Amino acid sequence: MIAILVDGIVQGLQLSLMAVGITLIYGLGGVLNLAHGQFAVVGGIATALFVEAGVNPLAACALGILSAGVFGFVVDRTLLLPAYRSAGEERLLLGLLITLGLSFVVNGFLDYKYPNISLTLKLATPSFNVAGITVRTASVVAAAIAIVAFVLLFAFLKGTLLGKVIRSIIQNEVGAGLCGINPGRIRTLIVTLSAMMAGLGGVVQGLFSSLGTEMGNELTSFALIVAVVGGVRSINGTLAAGVLLGIVNAFASYFVGAYLTLIILLGTAVFTILLRPAGLFAYRT
Amino acid sequence: MNKDRYLADYVTLLLVAVVLALVPLGVGDSAHYLRIVTLMLITIAYAVAFNIIFGHTRQLFLCIGALAGSSAYLSVVLAIKTGLSPWATIPLGIVSAALLGGAFSYVSVRRGLGVIFVGIVTLVFSLIFHNLVLGLRELTNGETGIETKGLGAAVLQSGRGSYYVILAFLMACLVLYHLLMRSRAGTAFRAIADDEFAAELAGIDVTFYKVLAASIGSALLGAAGAIYAFYSGFISPTEYALVSVDIVVLVTLLLGGMGTLLGPVLGGVVFTVLDEIVRPLGRLNVLVYGVLMIVLVITFRQGLVAALRKIVKVRIP
Repeated sequence: MIAILVDGIVQGLQLSLMAVGITLIYGLGGVLNLAHGQFAVVGGIATALFVEAGVNPLAACALGILSAGVFGFVVDRTLLLPAYRSAGEERLLLGLLITLGLSFVVNGFLDYKYPNISLTLKLATPSFNVAGITVRTASVVAAAIAIVAFVLLFAFLKGTLLGKVIRSIIQNEVGAGLCGINPGRIRTLIVTLSAMMAGLGGVVQGLFSSLGTEMGNELTSFALIVAVVGGVRSINGTLAAGVLLGIVNAFASYFVGAYLTLIILLGTAVFTILLRPAGLFAYRT
Repeated sequence: MNKDRYLADYVTLLLVAVVLALVPLGVGDSAHYLRIVTLMLITIAYAVAFNIIFGHTRQLFLCIGALAGSSAYLSVVLAIKTGLSPWATIPLGIVSAALLGGAFSYVSVRRGLGVIFVGIVTLVFSLIFHNLVLGLRELTNGETGIETKGLGAAVLQSGRGSYYVILAFLMACLVLYHLLMRSRAGTAFRAIADDEFAAELAGIDVTFYKVLAASIGSALLGAAGAIYAFYSGFISPTEYALVSVDIVVLVTLLLGGMGTLLGPVLGGVVFTVLDEIVRPLGRLNVLVYGVLMIVLVITFRQGLVAALRKIVKVRIP
């Protein structure tokens, strides 16, 4: 029972890593990134390629995450520019369609170029005992990585001037602009950062089980569900929703099977949108 | 002036009918190409339906395949389980798709969901549908799919005859579209597409017309999906997946031109030709669709019809 709980929490943390990116990009750029899972896959597969090339696994992970960041940067500076140039509904629509197209491009490319590559990272000691419960080392490491990433992110957002700037843009883009903030550059930074966190999520997935080229859409939909349930503008909400849904996912998979679980999760997302569009944990405004 | 406008519509409808009717002659005896052009008709029908929903009332339904598939699965499974003729179960599928689409639209208009949330809700519905079909093995046979041959819809099964039956269906869709657009509803749709808020202020019942557009569009999607099911002789979740239907229809519509009569037809024809050109690339075709979609969204949002209008200086409907 506790093993399931631990599994759920770890998976939830991993989902939050990606969902936070969706939240940040939507909050700052007004673009709902439907290619976010593909960012994770790019990071993970790049790591796998580096490992295959004989790079030390740790360095390979760092390089993989960096590749995801570079990919995010390039996408932001090229593909998303037309979306940023328009405003309101038009921007949302453009962003949605462009990233949807991008997700197909990445899927198609990886599926064609690297059909048989997947990322599976193995640790030296597969599991250990704590008070009579067998815990997978991978779970602990994955959880630790995710928690460290989140602590760093929160410290960055709450503690630094740049973080304050970012939060101000999320609250009110025009107001931030009037205070002399250039939203464009911050946006690029955030997209890059989100892509790197997604890449980290991809690496964690490889640590936890395995990451294949075809998993982009699956990861995107999970991250999207978490972001929606947590509130697409609330970072704390996203983290809470991730852990909550991770636990629900683990228990439901254990008791009612994988396919019903997915439908439960999807149903949760739909009802959240209909009942509390700002998310379960959002402040009332 | 008004008479003139309808004349252009009639001429276009007639031209489309004649040209598409001649296509099988050009294809000759090749069963392979006959199948491809028949599938083109189905894609065009999807695009006509989606045009009503997205092109005219700006409701981004990312569940084209799921709506078509729900109708298809409902009619096929009912026909198998109850022994009813497909001609009785297809209308049930159509009605269910229309109700589903109408419900999505009603809920999202009532809750004031923006384009993004409509997109998410319908995308999530697509995923739910996909997983339901995979999960309800006893009914749908999961990934393996169901044979639809010999269920009593012989007219729809492969061959030159079925091409003309499906063409008749497509022409019915286009005529319905034409009638819809020249009616009061068409005026309302144009007003909503221009500025929803202003339309509401002018006394247009935005909720009603959006739901109407979504229901009619979904009904047509359902009809096309069910017809495809009986035509192809086999259905599986892949045939109605996001990759196989939604992206193709989006590209077709963007390519041809949203909110036009000829757009979906033109887009469908050009897309089919392009698809044939990239076929040798095998699995890379998904990549090509993606690139095409991005390029169209960024640089060519008005579509072929608008470009043609500029070149030939004739008002094309």
